[in-house]
Amino acid sequence: MAKVDENKEGIKGMVNPTRYGIERFAYLLMRLTGLGLLAYFVAHIYETSNILRGKVGWQEFLAITQTPEGHIILAIVIGMSVFHTVNGIRVMLGHGGIGVGKPARPDYPYAPQSQNARHKIAIYSSIVLAALAMMYGLAVMFGE
Amino acid sequence: MRESVIMKIHYGTALASVALVAVHILFRLTQGFAESLQYESVIANYEFLPYAGMLEIILILLSIHGFNGLRVILLELKQGPTFEKSVSYGCIAAMALIILYGSRTIFMTSMGMV
Repeated sequence: MAKVDENKEGIKGMVNPTRYGIERFAYLLMRLTGLGLLAYFVAHIYETSNILRGKVGWQEFLAITQTPEGHIILAIVIGMSVFHTVNGIRVMLGHGGIGVGKPARPDYPYAPQSQNARHKIAIYSSIVLAALAMMYGLAVMFGE
Repeated sequence: MRESVIMKIHYGTALASVALVAVHILFRLTQGFAESLQYESVIANYEFLPYAGMLEIILILLSIHGFNGLRVILLELKQGPTFEKSVSYGCIAAMALIILYGSRTIFMTSMGMV
């Protein structure tokens, strides 16, 4: 019989939100969106520098980015930025001691006071808001 | 610098960026997304000095926040004096490069050097 070691699932085990809870998934998503937004920021700085190539250079570059694929990438960036912002505010409030609950005696099943319904609602809200913002972004970009 | 001070800077730059990037996006939406990206419109935006100043502030804030965030992620993955120093100085260097490159675009365009 093959031995199954739960600690050897690698990234698949790490991203599984059913085992470690939505807080762990939010932690991972916060880092992934952060890296994605940093990559977009650097690309955006390069993209806007094309204005120095004059009107022809700018329009050449605009033709590359203003495509259906470009709009979809931008919609993903919108979703990432909304999630990162809303979840970031939740994390900031948590670090400031807001919404983490009062210290209590650790009784079975040892649910941490800080991982309460308020934070779970905030995480789910940030995912829903990100999806809504993506849809709005797509409507604006493809509506024109 | 103490990590607690760095995190305060991280959160401060985040909140300021949210407010200023919202203004930046509103500029795109109020003018019409496609029209606002036309060459003449973009040049007019850069030549409007308060807006160009705001872009410069956004550039600095997001560079600090973004590259400090990258530093934090890398330090969570691996620790050690040499690695931590390399990551910290590497992120500061990348941040400075991005600020310089972006500032070049803002200054040259707002001064009509295009």
